[in-house]
Amino acid sequence: MTTALASTLEARVRDAVATVDDPEYPGVSIVDLGLFEALLVTGDGTVEVRLVPTFSGCPALGMIADEVRTAVATVDGVQRVEVRWLGAPVWTVDRISEAGREALAREFTVAVRIGRKPVACPRCGAETWEDSLFGPSRCRAVHLCPSCTEVVEVMRSGA
Amino acid sequence: MARIWSTMDEFEAFLDDGGIVEPDDDMPDAYRQTVFAFIEMHANSELMGGLTERDWIPRTPGLRHKMSVLAKTQDEIGHGHLLYMVAADLGLKTRREMLEDLFAGKSKFHNVFHYRAKTWGDQVAISFLVDAAALVSQQAVFKNCSYGPYRRILKRIIAEEGFHMRMGEERMLLIAEGTEFQRRMFQQSLDDWWWPALQLFGPDSKPDDLLLRWHIKSERNEVLRARWVQKFAPMLMSYGFIVPDPGLTHDPETDTWTAGPIDWEPLKRTLAQGGPDSARRIGEAAANWEDTRWVREALDSAPEHAVGAPA
Repeated sequence: MTTALASTLEARVRDAVATVDDPEYPGVSIVDLGLFEALLVTGDGTVEVRLVPTFSGCPALGMIADEVRTAVATVDGVQRVEVRWLGAPVWTVDRISEAGREALAREFTVAVRIGRKPVACPRCGAETWEDSLFGPSRCRAVHLCPSCTEVVEVMRSGA
Repeated sequence: MARIWSTMDEFEAFLDDGGIVEPDDDMPDAYRQTVFAFIEMHANSELMGGLTERDWIPRTPGLRHKMSVLAKTQDEIGHGHLLYMVAADLGLKTRREMLEDLFAGKSKFHNVFHYRAKTWGDQVAISFLVDAAALVSQQAVFKNCSYGPYRRILKRIIAEEGFHMRMGEERMLLIAEGTEFQRRMFQQSLDDWWWPALQLFGPDSKPDDLLLRWHIKSERNEVLRARWVQKFAPMLMSYGFIVPDPGLTHDPETDTWTAGPIDWEPLKRTLAQGGPDSARRIGEAAANWEDTRWVREALDSAPEHAVGAPA
């Protein structure tokens, strides 16, 4: 009985975590970006949300944790929320969901690079050139589309 | 599928209808010039703003702030990078020419980056007031900007600037709840930075402003400035700080805050001859540019494809 209750609570907490967007990509959930790793729900309503940072030095971690705490605290049956940033597993772009990739491309003209595979321009589909490995944040490189001349930011895994 | 407009009237009708110009379109030269100058200045401001921020990396109080200052510096330099690429694509100057002009002191950038951030309070005032001013004006550009590549880049930049502003608010709250010394320091910073931040919007828009006419910007400078005053004057006062504008008025009927008369001399002087910190800042950037010449030379001598797109 307790287990069944806990598991529905778990589903509600999951949904609440999914409402939190990345602060730099409004409209794209942290779950779709692959930041969510696990939940620990105990019978007394204590919830531990385990998240994985894209990069350990990311300055948005505090803000994301705050928003997760706020969102989860409103869930019926939750008494206490803790957010834990895990050191492992390491975040890679493979963790970004299909929906996340689509939203990044559609809303922000941002592509995702898997391994060393070529990166297609989110606007025209042509293969982009890497202009710089370093973009406005540690998880992004800057590419240029030689076909439509679009400047494309590319989410990448750390080195 | 480049588009061609046979007359300026036809082009303007296209813009008035909400048309979006793309790089391969055959846009009128005057439009190309205007949109280029605007993006170049924005790029310069991001870069110089990033350098202002960088000054504070070693001096930031506490690791958490240091992390955010580091990230913000990378953000601003990264924004500059994206914007220089968009500007270069207009074909009027290469990225390198824009940087060389900037480091030679020939180019414009926002007035606020001609001043020195002397204390952490200044840095907080910048991340709170100046970032907000930049965000208010970028939102107005983004809303209806007729130049497609710029509009798309702005969407990403705005999301990140919004994040900076939240960091600025957080820092401001910490100081507001801090010691008497911290509050006095921040009040001094407000006294120094309120007016330069307010003047970032520029003087009232002229009736024949091409940026407005061609839908590069969608709102007049005075409207944006008023929006910023309306947000920040009451917010600062609610934390017990003094807005250094003796002419600031409040209309209780409409709950509207209006700035007093504005002395534009400092802005004109800063844009014409530079401000108290321009020479140092440009000098340091120029020295860095010189120090990294060997990297550019090495890249130039490599086969084009090995280094990606030509500069």
